[in-house]
Amino acid sequence: MKNTIKIERAKKNWTQADLAKHIGISRQGLNSIETGKFVPSTLLALRMAKVFDTTVEVLFQLDDIDFI
Amino acid sequence: MEQSKKIANQQSVIFALIYGATYLPATWLLKHHVFSKPVSAFIAIVPIITFSIFIFKYIKAISVMDEVKQRVQLEAVVIGFSLTAMLVMLLFLLGLCDISNPAWFGYGHLVCYCWGFYFIGWFVSRKKYGV
Repeated sequence: MKNTIKIERAKKNWTQADLAKHIGISRQGLNSIETGKFVPSTLLALRMAKVFDTTVEVLFQLDDIDFI
Repeated sequence: MEQSKKIANQQSVIFALIYGATYLPATWLLKHHVFSKPVSAFIAIVPIITFSIFIFKYIKAISVMDEVKQRVQLEAVVIGFSLTAMLVMLLFLLGLCDISNPAWFGYGHLVCYCWGFYFIGWFVSRKKYGV
């Protein structure tokens, strides 16, 4: 799964620590999500979309290998 | 919220240390001293009580962790449990054909191996998620 968290974060000029604080997770946890090592829950994805004032579809997109 | 997470985390570590501080002396006392049966039973139960409290605090700490850390802990426990179960099965099967070494694989040692396997799982999972 691809994500545009880094891009959205850069638009707001936020560090990982800033975003992590806004959505209530640890900075290491956010790094794991941002690098695609961990796929967040729906709740966390929605929270992220809300703080960026965008939609989950903009933040997360399926990779080709995610299609069976 | 962040403060309560930290407190829950610290409490689980503190109670793990308390458990260790009761388990090791209890093992030493029961091994090197002869007590009456009720006293021996009491000494044997003390580390079990501290371990129960530790497990309670550990579960509480997991419940307030963020989802990435929860996954890391879950995988560490699964790996630790699976490896311990495999070792117990192997020892049982080897015991059936009279190949066993109680000096290295007694019940007491299994507790240490179980902890060791948990930490292996924790290390593997932390590496996997980059936490």
